[in-house]
Amino acid sequence: MRTHTRYRLSLYLLLTPFLAGITLLVVIPAGLSFALAFTSYDALSPPVWRGVQNYRHLLADDLFRRAVVNSLTFLALTVPLRTLITLGLALLLRRPRRGIRLYRAAVYMPTVIPGVAYALIWLWILNPVYGPLNLVLGALNLPTAAWLVDPRTALPALALAALFQIGEGFVVLLAGLQHIPDDYYDAAALDGAGRMALFRYVTLPLLAPWLFLVIIRDIIASAQNTFTPALLMTGGGPYYATLFLPLLIYQTTFDRFRFGEGAAMTTLLFAGVGGLIMLVWRISGGWGYDDSV
Amino acid sequence: MIRSERTPWRTAGFHLTALGISLIFAVPVIWVLAASLRLPGAPPPTDIELLPDPIIWSNYVQIFELLPLGRYLLNSCVVAALAVPFTVVVASWAGFALAQLPEHVRAAFLALAIVVRMTPITALWLTRFLVLNELRLIDTYAALLAPVWLGSSPLFVLIFYWSFRRIPVDVIESARLDGLGALAIWRRIALPLARPAIGAVSVLTFVQYWSDFINPLLYLKSESRYTLPIGLRLLQQMDITSWPLLMAGVMVMIAPIMILFVLAQRAFWVEVRS
Repeated sequence: MRTHTRYRLSLYLLLTPFLAGITLLVVIPAGLSFALAFTSYDALSPPVWRGVQNYRHLLADDLFRRAVVNSLTFLALTVPLRTLITLGLALLLRRPRRGIRLYRAAVYMPTVIPGVAYALIWLWILNPVYGPLNLVLGALNLPTAAWLVDPRTALPALALAALFQIGEGFVVLLAGLQHIPDDYYDAAALDGAGRMALFRYVTLPLLAPWLFLVIIRDIIASAQNTFTPALLMTGGGPYYATLFLPLLIYQTTFDRFRFGEGAAMTTLLFAGVGGLIMLVWRISGGWGYDDSV
Repeated sequence: MIRSERTPWRTAGFHLTALGISLIFAVPVIWVLAASLRLPGAPPPTDIELLPDPIIWSNYVQIFELLPLGRYLLNSCVVAALAVPFTVVVASWAGFALAQLPEHVRAAFLALAIVVRMTPITALWLTRFLVLNELRLIDTYAALLAPVWLGSSPLFVLIFYWSFRRIPVDVIESARLDGLGALAIWRRIALPLARPAIGAVSVLTFVQYWSDFINPLLYLKSESRYTLPIGLRLLQQMDITSWPLLMAGVMVMIAPIMILFVLAQRAFWVEVRS
């Protein structure tokens, strides 16, 4: 019995570095952030208690509102499109065939490109005068656009760039599809189910938990991955058209040293993302998602 | 799916579609490569060309003269290379402990892992800065390497947990009867059986630290410690119109990742399948 307890204890010891990391880098910072949101703080003089002043100020702040609207618009554009593209590609490339590894690698490739490099690549592609995208559109006699320079197209252009980094969801859905036994399809086909019926009644229900996971991950990613592209490609412009919450938080805290206000925005962002996830959960009933996935 | 339906037309249609999609996903990188070999300062092309004429390889030399990119490259290598072993140790320890500890501990951990994944990184920028500042780690590589204490990502802990779960209970039991402690079982039995997981986590960790832009942006001050992503940002700020040089910088940043990705391909998809 004594050795059993000792073994258990040493297991907890192996878990210690990880728990220390969580405490120091997630729990304490998150708690501090929540507390600082009620203060005014510039990192030089000690924080001053301001109650809910920061929140009240933010709700009336035009820039903050703009950032919220922009972030939600970006989310509404990218999450459904990315999910559909990911699902379509996973269905197309699910079976082992000649050349399948090459096709899958090509789909995954943009995902491994570092954020800074990816942003600069798209800055070049979207250049209105000599960017490849406009050159291709021009060659096909299609209308071209000023993309990042035009306040109307800047945000959709950033959303377009985000559509190609879908590798992680792609891998998750491929894994999910591999978990569906072939027998199910054979049985349904024997019952006379066509291609659409197979998708509707076999693939979709069995893939649902994985799809749910992908959507949740995508909401989180889309809410925060706007920072690097917005900072490098547009700086939040033109005319605040691409000012997203992460960029505003960065500018407020690290450029203007309004730590309290930044912390309040952060708390609202966290609550917003949490709320969205709860909403998806409610609507979908979890789609049979459980932690084992 | 109903395999008998695979007619030659269907097969051809599949390959055409898949090839077209692959091209759309791969073409930006080809464009960047072409753009990086163009003469800086020359009038930009007015139509799509696959290779510029003349090909200017010296762009790749010039960017290293404009900025101490060599230094930044080395810094990036050091940080990414240090992150890999630390991450493998912390994540596999945690994964091993979780695989062995009772159910309720595991459930609590999984809930925690999901909350951590959910937490927007932006939510932690500022206060992590304050914590690191308190620990006097600002402007050191330790600040960039801090996430190794979380196993770099809860996902990596889960990868190890999944592969350790596959070890039969009897094997662990008999090792314990032989008097081995947790650390010894981890090192002599669990780790050797988790080679694919070690490989996958190592590659993903390297890519994560190599690509990291935000941590060096927030936590580094001295230019001599800058990493490649910051160098690329500086290159962009120097002269926005010199696209060939900027694209050469992009290629320097993504080439090692591409090579690593191609090399790790086989192992990677095997891991996905299992």
